[in-house]
Amino acid sequence: MIRRLAALLALLLLAACTGGGNGPHEEPPADVQGDIVVAGGRDVTGKNGIRQQLIDAWNRRQERDGTGYRARLVELPGSADEQRSQLLGALQSGSATYDVVLLDVTWVPEFAAAGLVRPLPDDVLDSDVVESVAGTARWDGDVYAVPFNSDVGLLYYRRDHLRDGGVQRTDLRGGLDWRELEAMADSLDENPPEGYEKGWTTQLAAYEGRTVNAVEAFASAVPGLALTDADGHYDATVEELTAGIAELRRRTQAPYLLQDAVHSDEAAALADFAKGRTAFLRHWPYAYFTLHRTLTAAELGVAPLPGQAVLGGQNLAVTKDSKRPGKAQELIRYLTGEESERCLLDAGFAATRASAYEDDSVRCTVPAASPSPSGESADRTPRDPAGRPAYARGILLPALRRAVQRPRTALYGAFTQTFTGRLGPLFGDSPPGDAALAAALDEALRKALPD
Amino acid sequence: MTRFDPRGRVNRALLVGVSTYDFTEPPHGVPGDLPAVEHNLDLFQDTLAGGGVFGAADVTVARSPSLDDFDRVLRTAAEEAEGLLLLYFAGHGAIPSAGDELFLQMRNASVIAGGHAVFPGAEMFTTVLTWLASSPAERIVVVLDCCFAGNAAWIWEHFRDKRRVLLLMSVQANHRTDAGDGGTPTPFTSELLHLLAAPGELGFRDVSDALRKRMTEGPHETLRGEPWTPQSRAEHDEDVLVSAREAAVVHRPGPSHGRGGGPPVPGRPGAGQPSATPPRGTRGRSGGRPDRGRNGPVRPEAKRPRPPHGTGGGAVPPEQADAVRTPVPHRPRTPHRAPGHAAAAVPAGPVTARPRRSSAPLRAARRLAGRAGTWGAVLTALLSLTATGLGVYALTGLAGGSSDCAPALELRVLTDPDLEATVGAAAEAYLTSDANTTGDGCRRSGITVYSAGSADAVAALRRESGDWHEPRDEGPNPQRDIGPQPDVWIPASRADVARVTDGQDTDALARLEPDDGALAYSPIVLAVPTVLAADSLDERVGGPLTGMVDALRERHAHAEVRRPDPEFADAALLATIGLYGTGADPGRVEREVAPPGPPSPTAAGLLCALPDDDAVDNRTAALVPEFLMRSGVGCDRTTRSPRTAQYPGDVPGLEPVFVRVRWEGADLDRAARDEAAAGFGAWLAGAGGRAAFGAAGFRAADTGRDLLDPDGIADGVLPAPSLLIESAGRDAMETALRKYRDARGPGRVLFLLDSSGSMAGLWRGPSGGPGLLKESLGGLGGRDEYGVWAVADSARDRPYETLLPFGPHSRGSARAAIDAGARIRDAEADPYAALVAALGEMAERGADDDRPQLIVHLTDDEDAGRLTGARLEDVLSRARLTGVPITTVSLVGGGCDAGRPGALISTAGGGRCLDADDELGTGLSAEVARTGTGEQ
Repeated sequence: MIRRLAALLALLLLAACTGGGNGPHEEPPADVQGDIVVAGGRDVTGKNGIRQQLIDAWNRRQERDGTGYRARLVELPGSADEQRSQLLGALQSGSATYDVVLLDVTWVPEFAAAGLVRPLPDDVLDSDVVESVAGTARWDGDVYAVPFNSDVGLLYYRRDHLRDGGVQRTDLRGGLDWRELEAMADSLDENPPEGYEKGWTTQLAAYEGRTVNAVEAFASAVPGLALTDADGHYDATVEELTAGIAELRRRTQAPYLLQDAVHSDEAAALADFAKGRTAFLRHWPYAYFTLHRTLTAAELGVAPLPGQAVLGGQNLAVTKDSKRPGKAQELIRYLTGEESERCLLDAGFAATRASAYEDDSVRCTVPAASPSPSGESADRTPRDPAGRPAYARGILLPALRRAVQRPRTALYGAFTQTFTGRLGPLFGDSPPGDAALAAALDEALRKALPD
Repeated sequence: MTRFDPRGRVNRALLVGVSTYDFTEPPHGVPGDLPAVEHNLDLFQDTLAGGGVFGAADVTVARSPSLDDFDRVLRTAAEEAEGLLLLYFAGHGAIPSAGDELFLQMRNASVIAGGHAVFPGAEMFTTVLTWLASSPAERIVVVLDCCFAGNAAWIWEHFRDKRRVLLLMSVQANHRTDAGDGGTPTPFTSELLHLLAAPGELGFRDVSDALRKRMTEGPHETLRGEPWTPQSRAEHDEDVLVSAREAAVVHRPGPSHGRGGGPPVPGRPGAGQPSATPPRGTRGRSGGRPDRGRNGPVRPEAKRPRPPHGTGGGAVPPEQADAVRTPVPHRPRTPHRAPGHAAAAVPAGPVTARPRRSSAPLRAARRLAGRAGTWGAVLTALLSLTATGLGVYALTGLAGGSSDCAPALELRVLTDPDLEATVGAAAEAYLTSDANTTGDGCRRSGITVYSAGSADAVAALRRESGDWHEPRDEGPNPQRDIGPQPDVWIPASRADVARVTDGQDTDALARLEPDDGALAYSPIVLAVPTVLAADSLDERVGGPLTGMVDALRERHAHAEVRRPDPEFADAALLATIGLYGTGADPGRVEREVAPPGPPSPTAAGLLCALPDDDAVDNRTAALVPEFLMRSGVGCDRTTRSPRTAQYPGDVPGLEPVFVRVRWEGADLDRAARDEAAAGFGAWLAGAGGRAAFGAAGFRAADTGRDLLDPDGIADGVLPAPSLLIESAGRDAMETALRKYRDARGPGRVLFLLDSSGSMAGLWRGPSGGPGLLKESLGGLGGRDEYGVWAVADSARDRPYETLLPFGPHSRGSARAAIDAGARIRDAEADPYAALVAALGEMAERGADDDRPQLIVHLTDDEDAGRLTGARLEDVLSRARLTGVPITTVSLVGGGCDAGRPGALISTAGGGRCLDADDELGTGLSAEVARTGTGEQ
């Protein structure tokens, strides 16, 4: 509070000294015609190049209007760490030229604080953008990015397993809590279906997946716990961490968790669940499409994650050094507009706009490669009458609205490295007690996010 | 934590400043006078007088005392103080070569240099501490403003009665500092006094934290060009109230705690201040006007070089001092060392200035300062604007209550796949090391370590730096396929640098600057199952690799030798140099060391793959770098055949070298990036890097080539094999790679692209079927032959349509043909019929030669139901019979799970199965490149 007051007063003073001004958003200089380079990670989740298709559609429009602009997608490696490294290193040094960058939601504060991306007008986040998702695009009071595709933790379940295991309730769309999940796992242990081993699996290998799962446990145990304050400074107590660790321990205890989860990433956990080794899986929305390629609607269900779920996704931002920031902003508005978001939803992403889920008049008209009517169908995804994935409106949108963010800090890399590393002993051979681990975590986070 | 409040007690402050020295000429004089110190004393005295803790009579000022005079006033102050005893010293500091003592040089100081330097006329800090500890004072605060002040920390830590002592030091250990402009106080004291001038209660910790923050964020540097970082020491629960100045304008409710009358404008003490009482027993005097006493008048801002703030081991002679006095940002510095002076522990390494970011309040205030002129004016402006809020702000900001670490500069570090684990562990250690941490606890740089196939990395740096800088739609995209544009490249051999630079385009956008020495060394060994290994040392060390391999096979007829992929990591390529020896037929060698199926990409992967089959593990020797005998054993499978290292005498070893990569046009943060890269490079070359490489099992790069961690000798490793092998040469590596690629002649690849209706959702974009296919064509050169079939039941008489006829193609024409013909067919696919046809085609083409062949099947597995039972068995048997490897690329997850057709078919023919859980593009490209000769 004091810092904010001081900053505000300092700003007032500056404004006074310089005779006032137009606020922090200056009019961008005139654009220079040419290619708008969009840099983003390779989409390894098999969404049929929908991003490229949207860019192609925008380019056709530019060609038709003779604007002289063309957007060009530069793919970065599939590894998120390498994407971030190249985007940061290139924008800091100028080793490559990008106009628009696709940022993981956790990177926005870092790129904004480093001045590598430009503040955007507030109206790029209109009221149609899901509010929780819009929150990932702001930093320090300004809008620095526009959500392109979102992501949120969901609970997938094997309806066939529940049925075979003697569980009465095989439709969990109304949600459940961890106690109910454990009770179902107990029931399955007594009547194990073929191939079934444990209740659930998730991503606990020493990478971002562990951070995500831990933040979900922490936020469930301590409502409102964000771990950082609005300025990105560490803001938690040992007691809060203790409660969070206790919840994470409870969720991952041996009777319920597939032990391979401790070494699993997204692909491994998905494969184990698809094989039937577990009845439950914590995963992202794209698993809905992937799993429906091998499982039928009678075998697969999806429900809100018990407790709090974490937001993911990518946002689009205009680089500080772009020579065509005005047109780049226009491109972003197109790529994040109503129709584009509907296209993204249909292709398997979590859309960022409520209209994509709720407004049947919003349709995706971007031409896509589609099978002819008499050919075999590529799409096994259950869809609602309007053509959306069947779970979109009833499960996905409410999950997005309720989801929480991972800690927002310009030092997110240091945070997640510390958080993931320090929680490792919890999954080791002789895990320390909650309080001891919390004290060590607290100390490490204070060092990683110094204040 | 408890904060001692000295108000109302008998407190004493002794301010000692030595501005004038009797001996300033070489060879025994100190570097020069310090006129700035005179200002320190004046202002410090005034500031303390208004600080609310010391009464005017409590402050003693000693101006340029001799050693005897200093001892006397010190004793007096120590005896009199009962509450807080403050000692402040500003003058020259000196250290002996060991750096384990700090000498505070008084007016009559001199220096007798040598191996054991002697400092007459100076007081040892240990003695000072001992005198202070004899005081009945409850707490003792010592402030040192001199060169090497930080060396006092070590002494404090080893001082028995340190509990009462809180120590503030102007600069980190082993660093000298510039005394600043002779017309103003020294930089450290200047900042300190600004802080003490703030209203409100300030503890020792508040002041030290804020001071460290201000100094490191400001433009100050030590004479070594490093961030100037004041230090402090206190027991963890100790703090002392050092200032309780009443706010000048802001009147907070409640009784005042202060005693002395504060100046109306904090930070601008001087006029109107009450004078301190005359000093007792010193030659100093009170008041704000400089009076040189017996030492004469203050010299004007002398034209003579301003001396650094100390002498001793690392002292700079006056004639050199000027050259390094003013920090010159972005210019590497060379540490100066006075000839003949005792050597101080001065770490080497040029370091330059780096931009630093302040906390928001400080940034805001500093912006104001830039306009208003001084900090005093800033505070005045702030304080005069509002009441309570800004009073609190000023205190919070100055006390350093919160800190904004700026996002760190990101270093992109590319390395050899065999080195990734070691370099990654080193980088992780560096990130949290003191070397990478500012005084605020912020990280100076962030690092991401990644690897790429060594042949690809060399090729990309040599002739694709333009594409790496700016990938075009249809051209190569190293940003995606290799990784980030490296700021630092750590190849496994210096020869890689020559491989790049000797063939580099004239308009290359990446320029390499390798360090002189290698970071570490690890010989390539033949890791033989111990039961099969040579017994005698003669057989074990020094012979040619081919001889060792032949001897192994003679001893054990069933013994095999495996080597990882020479395209992928240098260790395997270096081993290949030995395998081909002089005149061996590469074709024969490759038939002997190439197992069924693709080779392990890395040496660590090979060592982990062998134990998957006990029989294979027990009979197979592996060509791997020696360090993996120690660190390459952390595989999933815990039981393995014990191995013994045999050391061939004709295989060059790994010698990782640190290479700075500069990109054309990457000038936005050039100096800071240079500094960050140099910092990491210096750390890697120093103790930190040695520890990381040592823990991984590496040896020193020097001629002795001892194990860096002699306590961690792995089983089967010789501590000192005494090898004299020359480093790898560019030509030898290039020749071995060319021979390897040609060993079996140009390749043949037949692509089967599932074009059935179900592929519609997996068709578009670079990750769709056609996109992946086109990307993999980069591994095929003009002599290779290949073709593409569109697999769907749309043709009348066969299960495919020909998209690209079989034969040699230019990459451009092949891509064009695929773009023109690839489309989704309104039909199902029959993978069985297509695979049988493909196997027949390839068997026929390969009937008369031994050229490498490959069938690539890109599919979504939708029609896998037509590939079961007898049909599946038929394909499997045909694949085994023809020996043509089939690589299945399943665009859906789980396509390669055990028992799935794709997995079975790939295994039968010795191909790979890749599914959506893998990096499909990279994996497929590697398979195709291994079959083809690529562009040469």
